[in-house]
Amino acid sequence: MPSRTEHHSPAGVGRSLPERGLLLLAVLVLLEGSVLPLGAASSPDTNHQGNVDNHNEGNVGHNVTTKKPFPVLSLDYHHIQTPFEISLWVLLASLMKLGFHLIPRLSGIVPESCLLITVGLLVGGLIKLAGEKVPPVLDSRLFFLCLLPPIILDAGYFLPIRPFMENLGTILMFAVVGTLWNAFFIGGLLYAVCQIQPSNPSSLHQLELLPCLLFGSIVSAVDPVAVLAVFEEIHINELLHILVFGESLLNDAVTVVLYHLFEEYSGVGTVTVLDGFLGVICFFVVALGGVLVGAIYGILAAFTSRFTSHTRVIEPLFVFVYSYMAYLSAEMFHLSGIMALIACGAVMRPYVEANISHKSHTTIKYFLKMWSSVSETLIFIFLGVATVDGQHDWNWTFVTVTVILCLVARVIGVVGLTYIINKFRIVKLTTKDQFIVAYGGLRGAIAFSLGFLLDNDHFPKRNMFLTAIITVIFFTVFVQGMTIKPLVELLAVKKKQEAKRSINEEIHTQFLDHLLTGIEDICGHYGHHHWKDKLNRFNKKYVKKCLIAGERSKEPQLIAFYHKMEMKQAIELVESGGGVKLPAAMPSTVSMQNIQPKKPPPAKTAERALPQLPKGREEEIRKILRSNLQRTRQRLRSYNRHTLVADPFEDGFNELLLKKQRMIELEKKIKEMSNYLTVPAAPPDSPTMCRARLASDPQTYSMKPGSDNMPSIQVDLASPQSPDSVNMLDEFKLANQQRRQEEEDQGLMMKPPSSTGGHNKSGEEDGGRDQQKLMRCLSDPGPSADEDEDEPFLP
Amino acid sequence: MGSSSSGMKDVPDAQELVQETGFSAAHLLRLHERFEFLDRDGTGELRPEDFDAIRELAMNPIGDRIIRAFFSAGKETLDFPSFVRILAHFRPADKNRDRAQQEPANSRTRKLRFAFQLYDQDGDGKISRAELLQVLRLMLEMQVTEEQLQCIAERAIQEADLDQDDAISFDEFKKSLEKVDIDHKMSIRFLK
Repeated sequence: MPSRTEHHSPAGVGRSLPERGLLLLAVLVLLEGSVLPLGAASSPDTNHQGNVDNHNEGNVGHNVTTKKPFPVLSLDYHHIQTPFEISLWVLLASLMKLGFHLIPRLSGIVPESCLLITVGLLVGGLIKLAGEKVPPVLDSRLFFLCLLPPIILDAGYFLPIRPFMENLGTILMFAVVGTLWNAFFIGGLLYAVCQIQPSNPSSLHQLELLPCLLFGSIVSAVDPVAVLAVFEEIHINELLHILVFGESLLNDAVTVVLYHLFEEYSGVGTVTVLDGFLGVICFFVVALGGVLVGAIYGILAAFTSRFTSHTRVIEPLFVFVYSYMAYLSAEMFHLSGIMALIACGAVMRPYVEANISHKSHTTIKYFLKMWSSVSETLIFIFLGVATVDGQHDWNWTFVTVTVILCLVARVIGVVGLTYIINKFRIVKLTTKDQFIVAYGGLRGAIAFSLGFLLDNDHFPKRNMFLTAIITVIFFTVFVQGMTIKPLVELLAVKKKQEAKRSINEEIHTQFLDHLLTGIEDICGHYGHHHWKDKLNRFNKKYVKKCLIAGERSKEPQLIAFYHKMEMKQAIELVESGGGVKLPAAMPSTVSMQNIQPKKPPPAKTAERALPQLPKGREEEIRKILRSNLQRTRQRLRSYNRHTLVADPFEDGFNELLLKKQRMIELEKKIKEMSNYLTVPAAPPDSPTMCRARLASDPQTYSMKPGSDNMPSIQVDLASPQSPDSVNMLDEFKLANQQRRQEEEDQGLMMKPPSSTGGHNKSGEEDGGRDQQKLMRCLSDPGPSADEDEDEPFLP
Repeated sequence: MGSSSSGMKDVPDAQELVQETGFSAAHLLRLHERFEFLDRDGTGELRPEDFDAIRELAMNPIGDRIIRAFFSAGKETLDFPSFVRILAHFRPADKNRDRAQQEPANSRTRKLRFAFQLYDQDGDGKISRAELLQVLRLMLEMQVTEEQLQCIAERAIQEADLDQDDAISFDEFKKSLEKVDIDHKMSIRFLK
């Protein structure tokens, strides 16, 4: 296990001279790396012990010798050293991320992962230059137990289930067969190459077959962290993304089995057929066991979330803790922790989301994104630092052959497998797809950590392995990572579609599902749809009743989707109305919902959020409002206690639906105004920025372009208690006051204007521009409009 | 294609069907076997009651509509060529279709047209609000209130209805599904 660096100033110096101590502290901080929390777990005690001893000594000395003045300010670095250094690393990582995005051109050209590795190299170099020993930061335990799980959980929780399941066969083929092929091809050929080195009777000859195969298996696995980091920036279409990403997740089981198999027997030197056979069985145990463990914890989490209606605050905690425990439990049995984590996240998600409050949902999302983002950054920086630190054994032949073999094996593997797979796929994989899949096979920190775990005694070539692994990682991340984006552009690969899912799509896809299931039944063919339908039925009948609290268990998928959509729009609307100063000539059409007769505070927030309006208009508005108020009183009962931001499910969503109905009638008249034009693409985001910002990208809010009649939820205002709340009208409303007056009989809404022919065009554009302005002003978008979210359990 | 398996002789108009629908001979044979299985009284033609015997179809919310879709206007019986022609819609699309040819049954448009006709029961070429509501009621069964259904139907029509005639025409239907991979969604792998 790694040792701590022991270069600290003695505590005594600091205590007696505070200024020098502070200066020294600053220098220490700059020079020393972080200390591993786990490895250092024992040392703070000794440190503390040392401190106490010193202290005692000092005290004893104090008693015996003359009395020293009471130390007003003392320096005790050891006391806080470990957490302090960890925090420093995290801070450094986060500041680096900030920095990258302030340099405009850089983040567009170079993927973030490359920059972070470079930073790590720099930091490591600095430390080395200063003569200090570089701390072994990328310790395998730290990596596997602390840095990796958040990333995988984030990936698993937000895994798009439908494309994943649809392509499961393909993904499994790539993950299992592809990785096996890679491992044996690389390992075997490396051994052959090492053996044929006649001229240089170097250490290469000593290399046995089994260590070679072990090395092959370590270096052949596609790494989820690296894939995520790079692919998130290139916004490739969903199919390719899920293929490469799914492969990187599922090949963990293969890697685990191969690694343990070869590691066990490298000492012995031979692997018998029996061992091979046991290895195959082990693979199934590892994979299925991991999934089972994950699923069990997932169900437990779902079940627990059923009862959390009174303690909403700790709901996110259950999600995180159960998932982490699933990971640890799987690791305990040497099962595939990654698959456990994915299974746990994927299984628990639909049920947990039905149970928890909206705020908890947001919390979970943001926390996961934050942790995974920090983890990823730290991993790449540590990779850089570890490169500087490691004892490298550079062997030209070995390294270059490895790199070449990795590429070749990947290409052959992908092409070969695709040929077989295409026979079974409905939508075939084209050459372009194959190229991207092959090119996207990036290696990353997992390979490094696995190599790091190797024992130097059993594997005398460990350092050479590590060097080769690092070279491969650097090559794939830098070269492939940097060039994949231009290549994607060059090949005109289909990109990800940003628009939200519409309710039409949802209805029709469900309809088509039923249709296809019916046709399959007629044909007597038990295909894909048949089983999906069966599973859905089972889910609806038994599982949902157990795991989802209360009424929500009976809610059909379509309704849940619809509710979600409405809620998102409502929140969108509230936020887009907030903090925006519009020019007086073009007030927006957003009106603020403000019905809280019992609770004055929301009224205040609504007021704060309103834009400025010229005085004259305000007067008119108030006049209209006041005339309306007479009619609204008796209707208010049904719209009681409703704020947009609170969880509508808790406050009686049916009332909201009633309102929606009426508003939808009205929305027809404002179709042109609420034309949500597609906002031009935001500047390319770094992957983690993307993840961190979720859907603050204005694009994702915009509806499909050209669908002018997208009903926006014009929640309107009707609070008798706060006549001060101003409704923002637009030109048309004032123009059509007459019509409005008579329509007001129907209800309390501020009518959106009926479109008058001539005004439409300019109004449209302005309205559109307005919306654009509103969109861009969104600071905290709240829950994302990701399509991921809209995926029901079995879409 | 000159297949000489004994089963093929029983299949009426086998050659023409292969040409027309693009099924392979093996698939046609399989479908014929299925047809005969469903045809309990051995008349060589299917009736709606024969379809009712399929248990899973009874549980399908739109099962009735699917059955009725097989029986084109007014006819009470279904012969094998018609059976096959309808199922041809669900063949995965051929990648390199000769553009000059008449649009085959399994093209995207034809697939969508088939689905559209299931919605549009009165055959006027538009999905009216009432028809949409019917479908929603079928799919959502007893679990939702009438209001919720109205809301959803309203919103769906608003989203899709571009020419504002309060109904969804076939083109609007196609447009609303432009992002969905219909080839994938409406194909049965078995029928290749």
